[in-house]
Amino acid sequence: VSKLNIPIEHATLANGLRVVISPDRAVPVVTVGVYYNIGFRLEPQGRSGFAHLFEHMMFQGSEHAGKTVHIKLINSSGGVLNGSTRYDVTNYFEAVPSNALERTLWLEADRMRSLKVDKENLDNQLAVVKEEIRVNVLNQPYGGFPWLDLPPVANRNWHNAHNFYGDFTDLDAATLDDVQRFFKTYYAPNNAVLLILGGVDPAEGFALAKKHFEAIPAGKLPPPADVAEPPQTEERRATVQERLGTVPALAIGYHAPQRRTPEWYALAMLDQALHGSRAGRVYRTLVLEKQIAVEASGGIHYPMGDVLDYNGPMLMVTSLLHKPEYSADATIAAFDQVIREVQQQGISAAELDSVKVKFRSDYFSTLEGGMGGYMPRFGLMHYLACFTLFDDDPTLVNTILDGFVAVTPEQAQAAAKKYLVPANRAIAIRRPKNAGVAEAA
Amino acid sequence: MMAATTQQPLSPLVPPLTLERPVVWPPRVEHTLANGLRVVLVESHTIPKFDAQLLFRSGNAIASHIAPGLAEMTAACVRTGTESRAEREIDETLRRMGADLGCGGGADNSSISFSGLSEFSRDLLLVAADVARNAAFRAEEFERERRQKLEEIKIERTTPGFLAGERLRKVLFGAHPYAVASPTPEQVAAYTREQMIGYYRQHYVPGNAILLAVGDFDPPKFIAQVEEAFAPWKAGAREEREYPAPPQLCGRHVHFVDFPGAVQTQVLLGHRSITRQHPDWFALSLANALFGGAFNSRLVMNIREAKGYTYSPRSSVHPLRQHGYFSVHAAVRNDVTAATITEMFYEMDRMRSLPVGADELADTQNYMTGVFSIGLATQDGLAGQLATVYLNDLPKDYLETYRERVRALTLNDVLHAARKYFDTANAQIVVVGDRKEVGDQASLFGEVSWYGAQGAPIG
Repeated sequence: VSKLNIPIEHATLANGLRVVISPDRAVPVVTVGVYYNIGFRLEPQGRSGFAHLFEHMMFQGSEHAGKTVHIKLINSSGGVLNGSTRYDVTNYFEAVPSNALERTLWLEADRMRSLKVDKENLDNQLAVVKEEIRVNVLNQPYGGFPWLDLPPVANRNWHNAHNFYGDFTDLDAATLDDVQRFFKTYYAPNNAVLLILGGVDPAEGFALAKKHFEAIPAGKLPPPADVAEPPQTEERRATVQERLGTVPALAIGYHAPQRRTPEWYALAMLDQALHGSRAGRVYRTLVLEKQIAVEASGGIHYPMGDVLDYNGPMLMVTSLLHKPEYSADATIAAFDQVIREVQQQGISAAELDSVKVKFRSDYFSTLEGGMGGYMPRFGLMHYLACFTLFDDDPTLVNTILDGFVAVTPEQAQAAAKKYLVPANRAIAIRRPKNAGVAEAA
Repeated sequence: MMAATTQQPLSPLVPPLTLERPVVWPPRVEHTLANGLRVVLVESHTIPKFDAQLLFRSGNAIASHIAPGLAEMTAACVRTGTESRAEREIDETLRRMGADLGCGGGADNSSISFSGLSEFSRDLLLVAADVARNAAFRAEEFERERRQKLEEIKIERTTPGFLAGERLRKVLFGAHPYAVASPTPEQVAAYTREQMIGYYRQHYVPGNAILLAVGDFDPPKFIAQVEEAFAPWKAGAREEREYPAPPQLCGRHVHFVDFPGAVQTQVLLGHRSITRQHPDWFALSLANALFGGAFNSRLVMNIREAKGYTYSPRSSVHPLRQHGYFSVHAAVRNDVTAATITEMFYEMDRMRSLPVGADELADTQNYMTGVFSIGLATQDGLAGQLATVYLNDLPKDYLETYRERVRALTLNDVLHAARKYFDTANAQIVVVGDRKEVGDQASLFGEVSWYGAQGAPIG
């Protein structure tokens, strides 16, 4: 196995902003990201959806770049941009021809320093966000499944259990004061990391970062939200109606062990054996062989991310669409048989080796792109940011695979026995409104 | 007026763009096997992997007289095993090599795409060649794929975005096979294994194929591995078929798909357009990007950023091989359905009536050339650009000259393209929503044909 040796240079500015640079002078394109250590899991209680609504507000104007200017300047420099709200981070990123690097940094610095938005901007983005939720969730078959369905069933801590996209009543309650307070609280340089990747000279990158970001005053950060989940003692289930889709949907989530512990590495490899590609045991057994499910997918942090980009309690998810002639119980029983097999027989050294090769290969592809062809080095940026914010060590990008490679078949089997048990899981079911077929099994 | 036209002057603090770095298109290595298979390779050493596409220039259109969606269904079956390798063996072999392999079929093309670690390139090429040559079409797998397809198309019919796209294709293409977005349940039930095998034998042949590969390899060694894997493939040539002409549609017409209980309305309007081979392609692409193809476009600035009607409005030119079509799309809250259609036409007509600003032209030229360079930075981005060239018979220097050609476009070119290709007078308006809620708003724009979600006309 060849060791990874991605060049990584990092420093912390006087105001606490961390800067990570990974140069590749060969390319004429540079990728820039700013990650804030605030995600939808961490948003204040009673304000469901606010972190995401706020992400939209960051495109609405800052002191020297008014509404639409940010978008216009990036597109007209030949670049693309976006942002996203995740469990534990909110990110803003651009890929631009490298001659637009300073312009891009200036734009990101301007909105880190000075969010300048008014009531009209807020009303506008509130309307946009509602249409986003309608198009992705409310007017879509299986919309939000299972990422909005499982957390409230599996979790008891509000931070892990609430509606991450936001209840419309909570969203409507948002005021401009809330927006500015959230900005002041969470969008401080000492709660963020700046990433510059690709066509950049590191010395120049650090100099530009200092020039544009270092004068932004540090903030007083609130104590971190307590996201701990109380231990679960028995299986949890909930069923809701699927308004549009024609076949039943079912998701099973097991609480995963804490990140970067030996058990977590072991469960991650087991997860790959279960959910990785068509060779994964869940897909192979339920879709290809028994033909109970018509779709099967899953993973740790599925479908919002992967095993490497969260920080706190998380589920290993299996998501199924199954034939209406099988009941939910029959489907779960078939799934349980897959789980029982790995608990009783474990996975062979050969299977584990093969899973590790695939994991490494997927990791390379994620580093290189990760968001399709239009965002080079998205995955590298993403992991560097997460490892900086969660672990204070971006160089984990080069070494994190070691922990997965070290997993033994015995550890994988032990993880299956300990974690893949009913008392540690939640099941969310969507039953179609228009299910006309009688259940046969 | 919308924000885009009332822009404040930019702050003098905005840093200027520095000197542009040269964008170098990496050299291509071309090779043709004795059986006629063309091979195009590009080195890219970003990661120790490679990305390959075996593309066939036949899709659902060419087999539409046998069964709609046949290329797509054939592709699904091709993936399920060969004469010597069972499905599970293929899946487990791929995993052992850190590889993925997928088969697909669209209107014009079919594909076997694969990517994996470079250290296993020889074995992965052997598996891909086996899938291309010796698919077994076992009865059990065929029935399983058929059932999955059936459930998939039932779910499609509950997806507003699908229903809108399907209706627009039907309207624009009439008797031409591009009209069919998806088969009906009856058509899926009528599929036979023999149809799949027939399609496979006829179209999965070297003379109809091109193998594109981008990645971390040494071209001469890689070509030797391609020869080893694909040389035994029996020669076979490409076939063509004539299709009925699509209809000439005159005047605006509303096509309303009733979706009771919809909490949002899908608006999709469009008309037929040109293909990538057309000399006006670049001018139209730029007009589209400026109008509604980019985040910083007039349409997005208007109905999203100024008015808040929608989350992700966009316009696109869809270049199928024989005919293209142009469409403008937004998913909007119910009470602004009419307002949205009005703004779409307003923005299209503005493009037709008045030249765009010189700054808008320059900004859009920068956008298009920049995004093009960004697309060269990943293996699959590069592979996608190569596929565009070879599947559309574009000039050999298309990629190398793309940026110059975009930069050469003038204000007049854009105005002419908009006048010629933004056909507001004859646009077809598809609306998917709750008839009780938004039917009246849709009726403001022309005579209405009403449909149910299953596709049949309703009164």
